[in-house]
Amino acid sequence: MAYKYYKDNRAYINALLQTGDAVVVNEEVDWDMELGAIVRRICERKGPSPYFKNIKDYPGFEALGAPIANYRKLAIAMGLEPETPVPGIAAEYLRRAATAPIMPRIIDKKEAPCKEVVLLGDDADIMNLPAPMVHDGDGGRYICTWHFVVAKDLDTPFVNWGMYRQMLFDEKTMVGPVLPFSDMGKMFHNKYAPRNIPMPFATVISPDPLAAIASCAPTSLPEDQFTSMLMGEPVEVVKCETSDLYVPAHAEIIIEGVVVPNVMIEEAPFGEYTGYRTSPREKRTVYRVKAITMRKNPIMSVSNMGVPTDEGQLLRSFSLALEMDKLLKEQGIPITGVYMLPESTHHLVVVGVKPSYANIATQIGQIVFGSKLGPWFHMCIVVDDKTDIYNKDEVIHALCTRCHPTKGITVTPNGVGTPLNPYAWPEERQYGRGGKVVFDCLFPPEWPASMIPIKVSFDNVYPKHIQEKVISKWHQYGFED
Amino acid sequence: MAEYDTYINTDFADLKEDVELTGVIRDLAPGRRKYRSTYARFMVSKTADKYKDKLQVRLGRGQLVDTPCSIEVIETFNVIPKGL
Repeated sequence: MAYKYYKDNRAYINALLQTGDAVVVNEEVDWDMELGAIVRRICERKGPSPYFKNIKDYPGFEALGAPIANYRKLAIAMGLEPETPVPGIAAEYLRRAATAPIMPRIIDKKEAPCKEVVLLGDDADIMNLPAPMVHDGDGGRYICTWHFVVAKDLDTPFVNWGMYRQMLFDEKTMVGPVLPFSDMGKMFHNKYAPRNIPMPFATVISPDPLAAIASCAPTSLPEDQFTSMLMGEPVEVVKCETSDLYVPAHAEIIIEGVVVPNVMIEEAPFGEYTGYRTSPREKRTVYRVKAITMRKNPIMSVSNMGVPTDEGQLLRSFSLALEMDKLLKEQGIPITGVYMLPESTHHLVVVGVKPSYANIATQIGQIVFGSKLGPWFHMCIVVDDKTDIYNKDEVIHALCTRCHPTKGITVTPNGVGTPLNPYAWPEERQYGRGGKVVFDCLFPPEWPASMIPIKVSFDNVYPKHIQEKVISKWHQYGFED
Repeated sequence: MAEYDTYINTDFADLKEDVELTGVIRDLAPGRRKYRSTYARFMVSKTADKYKDKLQVRLGRGQLVDTPCSIEVIETFNVIPKGL
């Protein structure tokens, strides 16, 4: 049975407009930094998505900025009420993710909106798309910031939809990092490139919101199936013009081509998800464009990475945490939940656990850092089952009062890191090295009960009948809520 | 007069003048082609009017260097294999 969802970005934009989570911008906006600056300010103010109707130099195109940069928009994208709290969104996501895989449905090209305009050969010129100069100082116009790249394994049917940033180089060329531990990185660097075979790709710009969410998720399933599970029915896909890849039929813009083996060209710097321009100009993976297909009057999507909170930070934090929740439960660890603070740019994972035995926090750290997700974060805070992992105040309080400054911190100096970590030394960036740290905020289970400090809070140090009396008479005392 | 920029991963002081260099330059002419990149062989000067075209220099993390420079583009070329 299908859940409530939005089949394309246009329906999603209408939903955002109805709830006040998007604003129509009729004023002409320059793609050269002005559009990016607006989106950046919206992210930092956690504001409504700007829906740009008039882009300088590009009549006929529109753009949506900051499509899912806060939890309200994520709830709307999931078909939930905007006020749904994070645990509620997580529960619904997990419920859908636990269903049986659903295969996508292939539809005819004549029925696919993304084929309304088909540009081949010299007409497939990506400089005719309104790629924004997102930040001053960026190494180029980042045509792809809210999108995903479709690629297929060379030897198996495995298909990957993943967000890999792409910078416009010239009218036929894009470039971006494809890290070796990513799904597409394993396909390209381990299989296509060694055999000198160009890898077909299709970049999907402005997909429907659930496909975008799926492409950010660390699922082991092909994301076309995972998207269908989030929808509760098959996502409609259509065959590409120049390869055997399939793309969501209701997306706004598709760029097709090949990833070029054994040639690298300069990319970056770029304002990245960590909130810094960290990685320098370097030679990175090359995409050569063969075709563009799109809807009439297409709508770009623009995410603006920077200081929190943007889409990548929010969605990666959300889905990485839920994947680790699943992983720890599969290992039989008595956790109460896992949360990643989006403000940590998915570098900090908070785990709630029943402190059943000594050094359970260290074990949790070893499991999460040892997983395939481990390279993306380097801090793990383990709190007890009475601490609300979604409440920053409670987590900070636990960290600063229960974590012993020498005995409670476990450092692993040699872990897998990413070149995007702002703190990393140059050689750590070059070779993808990084340290890991666990903050154990659990009182040791061997301490006798009489020795354990008592948390002094309204919920914890008053008898139930006093709490209920105070709450029931709160207004009578003269207080607002 | 055309205007370009280029990125260097070294200190500005290390940028060599009046010798042939190879690298990526971006065209800063306004319009849809702005920021189009190309590989080129060129010579640069830290004197604004030494060569006919303007050049802005940025460092590896995008920091714009204040000194206005000039550039002589000798040749542009493509590094992508033919047929792709």
